Amino acid sequence: MVTIIIVLKSIVIGALVGFGVGAGAARMFHAPNVQGMGAFRTFGELNACAGDPISHFSFGLGFLFNSWASVVGAGALTQDVDHRVIPNWAAAILLWKNKNVEETLHNPKRMAFAGALVGVVVVTLLNSTATAIPQSMQLVATKVLVPAANWLINPIMPIVFWMAALDAGKRTGIWGTVLGGMSHLVMGNAVPGIVLGILIGKGLDDSGWNRITKTMVVAVALLFVLSGFFRAFDVALLKSLQVEIPQWLVELHETFGSAVKK
Amino acid sequence: MNELQAKGFWYSEWAFALFVACLSSGIFAGTHLYYVYHVGAFNDIAIVAMLEAGIKGGGYGAAAAFGASFLFARILEGPLVGILDIGGSLQTGIGIGVPALMLGAGFTAPLISFPLALTTGAVLGLAIGAVIILIRKFTINSVNSTFGADVMMGAGNAAGRYLGPLIVISAIMASIPVGIGATAGAAIFYYFNKPIAGGAIIGAMVLGAIFPIPTQ
Repeated sequence: MVTIIIVLKSIVIGALVGFGVGAGAARMFHAPNVQGMGAFRTFGELNACAGDPISHFSFGLGFLFNSWASVVGAGALTQDVDHRVIPNWAAAILLWKNKNVEETLHNPKRMAFAGALVGVVVVTLLNSTATAIPQSMQLVATKVLVPAANWLINPIMPIVFWMAALDAGKRTGIWGTVLGGMSHLVMGNAVPGIVLGILIGKGLDDSGWNRITKTMVVAVALLFVLSGFFRAFDVALLKSLQVEIPQWLVELHETFGSAVKK
Repeated sequence: MNELQAKGFWYSEWAFALFVACLSSGIFAGTHLYYVYHVGAFNDIAIVAMLEAGIKGGGYGAAAAFGASFLFARILEGPLVGILDIGGSLQTGIGIGVPALMLGAGFTAPLISFPLALTTGAVLGLAIGAVIILIRKFTINSVNSTFGADVMMGAGNAAGRYLGPLIVISAIMASIPVGIGATAGAAIFYYFNKPIAGGAIIGAMVLGAIFPIPTQ
């Protein structure tokens, strides 16, 4: 019974997600004139397959196994379903009949409907078979994939982004280093901070201190203050400096539902 | 060609908001599936694990801050570079960050009810789409900068390549047969020009099915 409910909900979810991803991916080919959505790596990979349906299909299939292992192990579909499987398989379906990418892969309408079809099949398949997988396979997923994924998020990705920031120029390197370090302290991972550092550093390189870069710096500062507060970084900082936590701060945290541990 | 194509509903600005609404509606409902049935969250294991830590009673702070910061960064970046990164903005922001904020505040209804989850996601997506189109209107024509999109693109691609070797190392540390399987799988996939992460996983799974990893 539960499986039937999961299947029915997955069909709805798959159609919605596939529709959006397909249209967004096709629109990426018209950026920046048209706002697209997807990811730079998706864009690069779609280009790398060069309109060959078999390449698109096998690339998607490789990541379907990835996602399958992950959904079995932890119930997580991985970002690859939206980034790789749906766009590549939608492209493969369209290119099977018509090799002209302008009329297929680059067409938001066709990609949206092909994406919706792929989304229904893939999401339903992944979600409904997850419970039918033997224990030994689940063990491989959790014992092998989870540690590898954790290493990728920390420390591999912070290091790779950090190096990219350092190599992109002095200003980007400094902003990336400072915001990256602060982001690892406050948010638990340096990547968002480094990305913001690159954004600000490059923005300053290209256009200097104008209204947009100033707004960005203010917004970033606000982001750090708010994340720090909601992760109770302020309290942890005071505690590690052996400073008494003022009562008003404890009360402020309580009004937002987080109890301060003494 | 481009100017001719850039007209009509499928290329229009407000259709973008509609596409974002569809996608984030599905992603938010995926998190609903995960919350209720423990399957179907549209994100990577490591990020879903942060939400899981909250569900298990460890506090939602990490997931909320991580998700919200990604959402914020991507909304800022999306209109400037012309491509909204759905991984950071929708899958992590809407799929993990927003649910973590809601659950942290004790607001569980949008995650328990399927129709409410779809609606919540759609409304949030529509708002994000509208904000991005607005930022575009005010910035894209007035600034001559990509804000380091190429740098981030390069780093994103480079980081993805590390996953294959990491899986092989992790498999070797899990057990000897699984390690051998992952190594062989990675080598075979590399020979056929396929992403080696996929080969490593399949190799580890096949050998792991025959020789299960011992549990402590």
